Amino acid sequence: MSKSSKLFAADGILSQAISGFTVRQAQTDMANAVEEAIEHKSALIVEAGTGTGKTFAYLAPALQAKKKTIVSTGTKNLQEQLFHRDLPLIKKAIGVNGKIALLKGRSNYLCLHRLRQHGGSSTLLDRTTMVELSDVRRWATSTKSGDMGEMKSLAEDAKVLPFVTSTMDNCLGKDCPDYEDCYMIKARRKALDADLVVVNHHLFFADMALKDTGFGELIPEADVVIFDEAHQIPDIASEYFGESLSSRQLHDLSRDLELVYRTSLKDAKQLHTAGEKCKMISADLRLLFPEQAQKGNWREMLTRDEVQTQISKLNDALNILYEVIKLHLSRDKDLDSIFERVSDARAKLARLTDAGQKGVSLWYETTLRHIVLHLTPLSIAAKFSKMVSSPERTWIFTSATLMVGDGFEHFQRQMGLQQAKTLALDSPFDYQKQAMLCVPRFLPEPNAREMRQTLLDISLKLIAASGGRCFLLFTSHATLRAIAAMLEDKVENPILVQGTTTKRALLESYVNSDNAVLLGTGAFWEGVDVRGNDLTCVLIDKLPFASPDDPLLQARIEDCRKAGGNPFGQLQIPQAAIALKQGAGRLIRDETDRGVLVICDNRLVTKDYAKTFLRSLPNMRRTRHLPNALAFLEEIHHDAQLSKKSQQAAKIAAKEVTNKAAQALAQQDVNQDSLIASDQGTPEQHSNGQNALDTRDMLKKEIQ
Amino acid sequence: MSKVTFYLLEQETEATSNQPAHLALACQLAAQCFSNKQRCVVMCQSQAQAEQFDELLWQLPNDRFVPHNLTGEGPQAGTPVEICWQRPSQFNKPVLINLADNMPDFHSKFSRIFDFVPAADTLKQQARERYKHYRAAGHQLDTLPSKALLDSLAGNSQSQ
Repeated sequence: MSKSSKLFAADGILSQAISGFTVRQAQTDMANAVEEAIEHKSALIVEAGTGTGKTFAYLAPALQAKKKTIVSTGTKNLQEQLFHRDLPLIKKAIGVNGKIALLKGRSNYLCLHRLRQHGGSSTLLDRTTMVELSDVRRWATSTKSGDMGEMKSLAEDAKVLPFVTSTMDNCLGKDCPDYEDCYMIKARRKALDADLVVVNHHLFFADMALKDTGFGELIPEADVVIFDEAHQIPDIASEYFGESLSSRQLHDLSRDLELVYRTSLKDAKQLHTAGEKCKMISADLRLLFPEQAQKGNWREMLTRDEVQTQISKLNDALNILYEVIKLHLSRDKDLDSIFERVSDARAKLARLTDAGQKGVSLWYETTLRHIVLHLTPLSIAAKFSKMVSSPERTWIFTSATLMVGDGFEHFQRQMGLQQAKTLALDSPFDYQKQAMLCVPRFLPEPNAREMRQTLLDISLKLIAASGGRCFLLFTSHATLRAIAAMLEDKVENPILVQGTTTKRALLESYVNSDNAVLLGTGAFWEGVDVRGNDLTCVLIDKLPFASPDDPLLQARIEDCRKAGGNPFGQLQIPQAAIALKQGAGRLIRDETDRGVLVICDNRLVTKDYAKTFLRSLPNMRRTRHLPNALAFLEEIHHDAQLSKKSQQAAKIAAKEVTNKAAQALAQQDVNQDSLIASDQGTPEQHSNGQNALDTRDMLKKEIQ
Repeated sequence: MSKVTFYLLEQETEATSNQPAHLALACQLAAQCFSNKQRCVVMCQSQAQAEQFDELLWQLPNDRFVPHNLTGEGPQAGTPVEICWQRPSQFNKPVLINLADNMPDFHSKFSRIFDFVPAADTLKQQARERYKHYRAAGHQLDTLPSKALLDSLAGNSQSQ
């Protein structure tokens, strides 16, 4: 019997040490497979449906193997969950003493140098930022980790953050006067020293692509690399294997130059002028594009005269800046680092404007003020598979959504992991009983104008039936806004709309309210975990195909077609199927969850390719009759109300029991026997036991 | 002249789904037509029955998924299986599966027609009437026990 089988057995250590642990065959299977992969230093891909318990299934064998391990997950929140909740629990259970560490990206750590730099230069900051800055300064005196996430009072997107954290661009590295006290360096040293370190995908790939100085030390050391939420990796890896240059970077450069000129090199006005020139020209480049934010094919743009002129102007300005700074080298450490940034920007600009290269997509995106140029490899398969094959080490890729239909081909092809072992584990949930999938009848065609009215009508019905406990997920911001505006006049439930505040704040208000409806797009399709009766209905407006306007997708489609493939089947359907699976995955989070998934896209019924989507979704009960879905929602809502009432009643009953016990105690003058008797009847035990059941029955009768 | 096949049903309801046996069988037929790349129209007695049939087809297991639409929904180019309860707007499909009580008056637009003789008495009586009408219209008729279709389906799936 393997170590993992013993660990996860009914009479195993985990069962004994973790309260509420239940044996799940799928979990044991996964742990065994991970253990084997660690032994053989091989690559393993595991799709584990929601509720399998995949976190423990990879953590336990990794900890037991006592090898140097990196666990990489999707977001900072998930990192924290792993590090603060799951890891301590399992470490304690299996009794290993390995050192563990949490490492976040650079922008999460306070940069002492930058904090000091902005000490006196209040002219560069507006008033709110100044207030935030003084908060940060106060906090800085007491923090041990320097992790900005500790400052709960600060918004996730606070304006002060860029001023008190560093970027790869402006970090002085070893030349920094504060190097020894640097929080990021400390965190990194701790990570190097640890047996198991928790990172996120962005950090991992920044490290791997050697995109960060002083980095790239972590991965070579690792024996085992585990990716959770591995479905995100193809996109993230592509981003890091590519390059980008933004007008914002040039603006920052110019601002930092100004800072150097105003603080230390007051005689070097040319620095300021030359920096300003780059900034102006990049701003002018932005002005060549429409005001509204957009993405597009940069290769095509490069054929335009006015774009070409502007690019060569920018090139000249960067060259001049380069020469100007060169004259002042070694006078100021910040300036020396700016010099490297300028030469880096020059080199990047050259690559980003080389229209002749193959195998990459050149694209741009604009925001209100800025433009970003991107170069993205069309495929990372070759690079990644090379990395996985040598040096020999263990690679685990896991997620609830890796398969499309019944296979891993899509993920394997994207990642060049054709040789990896695969394992598919079903969720332990009984989806036929717990969940219902409804595609309503007589929907307008997906892009028809009447669709909004239909979405509104259906949303209203779902909100009424579920008592507001729904997520309405949209594939476009325009539809989201339109439905949100219309709903606000029609329902009394609080309407929470993505974009009005941070995702975390929205989720908090959703859970704290008992009848709020949440409307979201992309951000809420993934990584949201709302259990129980707080989320009983998810509406999805349309199959989540990526926008065909996306230049990277266009380039990949073109590439696939040239290779004789079928881009719709090989790229677009798999991508949308995984996205849909993610969105649908929000609904059922544990064994007792129940809920309805409504997808308002009749292509799920009328198109042949729908079977790939259906095979990718959990096997839910299906209906096209909206009233069936509404009835199920009403039933769930009704039961939820009942259990809420019975909980309240139980609380009252429990109070009575305590009161009575107290009275009895007072009357009986504290004798030994009565103490024991009242001990046995402690309120908690009573309230969750028989009393609760009785009151529930009673209430049920009352309502019926 | 079209070829008309009547399937004789022994039971009123299908054992596993508890649905009318002829509806369940029609569902299997539609799935078979789709896998043979033959587009078909399913003619129902009422909108309620059409929706009932739509529900059955939608609940087929994934490996028997049949893209379909009810009249009044779906893409302009249509789908492999159209479920109607009134005269179809266009006739571009070769197969008709009839669940209506009377012989559809557009029967001659199809080269292949499937119909049913349910086990319940009234429905059986209506089926006899339809049989006569098809014969009077000069179609080539044929009757098979429902088992024949189910066996052939089972044989198909085995050979796959």
